[in-house]
Amino acid sequence: MIDVQRLSKSYGSFRAVSDVSFHVEKGEVVGFLGPNGAGKSTTLRMLAGFLGPSTGQIRIDGHDISDEPVLSRQKLGYMPETCPLYPEMRVREYLAFRAELKRLPRKERARAVESISEEVDILEVSEVLIRHLSKGFRQRVGLADALLGNPPVLILDEPTAGMDPNQIRQVRDLIRQRGDKHAILLSTHILSEVEATCSRALVIARGKLVASGSIDHLREMRRASGLHVVIRGDRAKALEIARKTKGVANAEVDSHSSAEAFTMLTTYAVDANGAEAAEHLVASLVGAGIFVREVLPRAASLEQVFAELTQSEDGFGLSEQRAKTSDAQGVDQA
Amino acid sequence: MRGFWPIFKRELFALFVTPLAWVAISSFLLLQGLHFFLIIINFASAPADSIGDSGPVQSFFGQTMLLYVPLLIVCPLLTMRSFAEERRSGTIEALLTAPVDSAGVTLAKYAAVFVTYAAMWAPTLLYMLVIRMQNGEIDWRVVGTSYVAVLAIGGGYLAIGIMTSALSQNQLTAALLSGLAISGLFFFGLAEFIIPDGLAHDIATHLSVWTQMNDASRGLLDSRRLIYDATLIALPLFITTRAVDAWRWG
Repeated sequence: MIDVQRLSKSYGSFRAVSDVSFHVEKGEVVGFLGPNGAGKSTTLRMLAGFLGPSTGQIRIDGHDISDEPVLSRQKLGYMPETCPLYPEMRVREYLAFRAELKRLPRKERARAVESISEEVDILEVSEVLIRHLSKGFRQRVGLADALLGNPPVLILDEPTAGMDPNQIRQVRDLIRQRGDKHAILLSTHILSEVEATCSRALVIARGKLVASGSIDHLREMRRASGLHVVIRGDRAKALEIARKTKGVANAEVDSHSSAEAFTMLTTYAVDANGAEAAEHLVASLVGAGIFVREVLPRAASLEQVFAELTQSEDGFGLSEQRAKTSDAQGVDQA
Repeated sequence: MRGFWPIFKRELFALFVTPLAWVAISSFLLLQGLHFFLIIINFASAPADSIGDSGPVQSFFGQTMLLYVPLLIVCPLLTMRSFAEERRSGTIEALLTAPVDSAGVTLAKYAAVFVTYAAMWAPTLLYMLVIRMQNGEIDWRVVGTSYVAVLAIGGGYLAIGIMTSALSQNQLTAALLSGLAISGLFFFGLAEFIIPDGLAHDIATHLSVWTQMNDASRGLLDSRRLIYDATLIALPLFITTRAVDAWRWG
């Protein structure tokens, strides 16, 4: 449905996107992940036909976007990142305008607008001027616009940005439900969003596609990097025990610890079995008469995952980076 | 021409839902009303033999600054929003990713301001009715040629305004650029009265809006001038469609 071949975009000497290729099939929800400035929006804008690629080929439902621009755009629903809408129109008027622009048959327009408004839960604001809508509602109007006419391809640029947790859940449900009827590509910089909605992820960094794989693969990469343990007792002893525990590479006291109990941050060794290390650590601490109040896994942050994904490219390893941050914290502590 | 009709309707809606068009049109009509009033008073008080063969309609459309100066302000005001505001607010992204083409978008936006412009002139037809009801004589040929000229000249001004709006990032720049461009054209035409002869004089005469309106107010339509007006409409609109394409490929 979405077929991208060796796509590049340059602004002068700056390569915003370079040599990106991927496919999205019908029934797939693919997450397009990357830190800010990685080239996500640029790529999506090219797919949507708003920006022309410098080189490369894009096909939407079999139609090349430069040879058949109007036809290919008719096959896709696009929700831009900032979700720009005309402030002087009412929601229903806007959607009716968009429906006509997308050449929905005259008889079906009103019904299509009505049913899509119900689906994304904006019926209550259909007579409200867009200028008076909150960010979350605007996002949903933009989403409704993208869904109008049931295009085979959906391209959503950060669809849940600016929504509250309830709205985010609704939208994720909706995307999942829609998943088998469309080919959906959605961008985000929130890893949990991809886990919640997508079947596959593409990771882009500095304009290059650095990883592509199933969500399980991503989950694996997000495995805890260490433990966050709140304890009461002898600090020095606790640190010593932790550092001796098998599978733990480092331990230090968190600088935000309170006077009564303190937080110890441990870091797993690179090849350690996290679950085992946690069991051993808790057992040894308790055995030594130290009280354990909380044990939380320290999940890898998105930055760390990105660092891991891109490490082969620039030779800067994740463990090295972790060691550096630990050193810095150790200095703080001293 | 894909997308013309819905965009045209939305543009008209956008023009009339904001105060700008109403303010521009009311000010314009107020000024033209005053203009017409002065002409009527003048004719009513003048001795019959001093009037010669010109009448109030001729005076309204010809030999007067009061007709053009408002146009040099109103046309940029009507056109400044069209593309500049969409680019500033980002709505251009939603518009251009819909199944529309550049010609459709450009012509729809142009048609909307042109219809607004024509609607702005429509109430002045009442002046003709006023003269008629007062048993004045009206040469409908003069009225016809005058309105054709007013629409042709304004059409060019609006096309230039649409173009500068497409080339600007904000409304103010768009309005200033088109104001400068059409004032430049207008005053360049006036050079026919300053430069005594030679090529520059001929060019100025040919491009003079002033002379075109004078001719039209006497019932004359010169096809060369209409071709000039058509060029002034077609060329900026062509540049606009190229600019819209260029955003995609820039």
